[in-house]
Amino acid sequence: MGLIALIIFLVMAAVLGVMIALDIRKAKKNNVKYHFKQCVIGYLMMAPAVALAFIFVLLPILFSLGYAFTDYHMYYPNDINVVGFDNFGTLFKEIGMKGELYHAILNTLLFVVCVVPLQIGLALVLALFTNRKKRGVKIFKICFFAPVVISLTVTSFLWLQILSPTESGLLNSFLGMFGIAPVDFLAQPGTAMLWIVLLSAWQGCGYQMLIFSSGLTNIRDDLYEAASLDGAGWWQKFTKITLPGLRSTLLYITITVFVGACRVMIQPMLMTGYQLHTVTLSYYMYQLGYGSHLIGLSSAVALLMTIVIGTITLLQRKLLREK
Amino acid sequence: MELSREKLLRVKNVNPAPLVVPKNKKKIALDVVWYVVGIIVSLIFIMPILYMLAVSTKSQIAADRASGIALFLPDFANLGTFFNNYRKVFTDYGIWRNALNSIIYAAIAIVLNILVNGLAGYVLSKFNFPGKKFFTFIVLFLIIVPVETSIIPLYTIVTQLLGLHGRMTVLGVILPSVISIFNIFLFMQFFESIPKDYEEAARIDGAGNLKIFFKIILPLSKPIVATVAVFCFIGVWNDYLWPMMLLTPYPEMMPIQAVLQTIQNIEGVTTGEIMASLVVTSIPIFIIYIAAQKYIVQGFGSAGLKM
Repeated sequence: MGLIALIIFLVMAAVLGVMIALDIRKAKKNNVKYHFKQCVIGYLMMAPAVALAFIFVLLPILFSLGYAFTDYHMYYPNDINVVGFDNFGTLFKEIGMKGELYHAILNTLLFVVCVVPLQIGLALVLALFTNRKKRGVKIFKICFFAPVVISLTVTSFLWLQILSPTESGLLNSFLGMFGIAPVDFLAQPGTAMLWIVLLSAWQGCGYQMLIFSSGLTNIRDDLYEAASLDGAGWWQKFTKITLPGLRSTLLYITITVFVGACRVMIQPMLMTGYQLHTVTLSYYMYQLGYGSHLIGLSSAVALLMTIVIGTITLLQRKLLREK
Repeated sequence: MELSREKLLRVKNVNPAPLVVPKNKKKIALDVVWYVVGIIVSLIFIMPILYMLAVSTKSQIAADRASGIALFLPDFANLGTFFNNYRKVFTDYGIWRNALNSIIYAAIAIVLNILVNGLAGYVLSKFNFPGKKFFTFIVLFLIIVPVETSIIPLYTIVTQLLGLHGRMTVLGVILPSVISIFNIFLFMQFFESIPKDYEEAARIDGAGNLKIFFKIILPLSKPIVATVAVFCFIGVWNDYLWPMMLLTPYPEMMPIQAVLQTIQNIEGVTTGEIMASLVVTSIPIFIIYIAAQKYIVQGFGSAGLKM
């Protein structure tokens, strides 16, 4: 592994060397002079960042790419064989057999399809709702934002208590008032993921609300006034002024919420553990690598995820930008 | 936009409306509805949090017995045992040690984060040197690439390539949160807006590059430094998975989020104690959000730059 890291380092250094040579030649042509001492100092000042970025950002990405085509097992770091596309074959077979990966994909899909519209819609509604200059608006905003402040870990453990299957759990004690027997919400294959969707949207939407709010303040008031004079209703104002005005905000929020949703893992991990009805792609990948020590296979999942998420993100960018 | 210039012109020609518009009944009714809806939705949003706060003051018996509105109210009947759960979490479960760990990790990460990324941003925005394009390209490239999926390779790098174990594992916990390509980008953007005159004046006075960075650039960039510091603190304090992966064999070095899991699994732990540990974990972030509102909103603005 050290050898590969060294090779990557040398390749990067070589590319840098070529770039430097090109820059110097160009500078000579244009009669720009570099201050030698300043160049050295500049490189020295950048050195810590370059070193850390190389080890903790660049290497993991490149390694992840490379591992996907090997049979790397965590306990045998000295016995790594290149296996070509075998890992991907194994994964597709797993999907075909409706194994864990199949469920992980389905659960992640369900989560993304539910949470993205719910969270963005909720955030937009809350932002529009608080977009008034009225006394008390700030208190409302603080209440809507409060869940964001709580970390995902705390959120998961808090909701674990709320959804607790015992009679004293918050939700079950509510149901108890209507004479309904305690339900183990997180053990139900049909609803467990939906509860995770709900609490994730609850936790996250305040953040997007604030971003929408700042987007709303950028829309000029006179547009609304002109529309009112024209006799436009609130729906027309919303679709003809508000939405177009929020386009870039919406693009940013859609992509970040989508990517975040694809990576969901802490909530199912802490609330149900590794269960077929709640396992997600990230969780599956993590479990393969950290739990089962199959780093090669895990990296193959990571590579597939990156490709799929990357493609969809690009598509979203195109769709939302072109109009 | 269909609302043409003609319409806007018409707006201008309209007789000025009277400044004080008499409120009609319809408007007042709308306001009332708005307030009522707002209060109801706000209550729904903070209900789980109120529940957490309320239960954290109750003994198991009191928590089980509570119903209706009492579920969301603290245990005023037993003020003597009001903070019992907190006492237990701090003394028996020793959560203060993990809180201290988290604070130390966050403090180190913040200082190094600003230094390392700030210096890189300074060089990339203000210096002219061969190879500058290469590094600028790498920064822009790495911002786009999703990094989250590389946590397993990162783990192999820390444990096998760097071979960190024992007390040194702490380095593996802190160092990845020190480097942030996005922060380099933020610093670059901000430093570029600082006029060159400041630097040149200092250079004439004989100041070196480092002195210029610490005495001129950083003080002029207080807002961005504060924003980076705040988000770095929140990031490190709230991080769960990464420290958990590295520090499972070393519970005494765990940060606060990781110890929450341990507390859940203690035999005989009460709901109240769990809730108390959750409250203790959330309080510093609440304080940060309230104290640093301004910088956090700025952070939202800079988040838009990412696109």
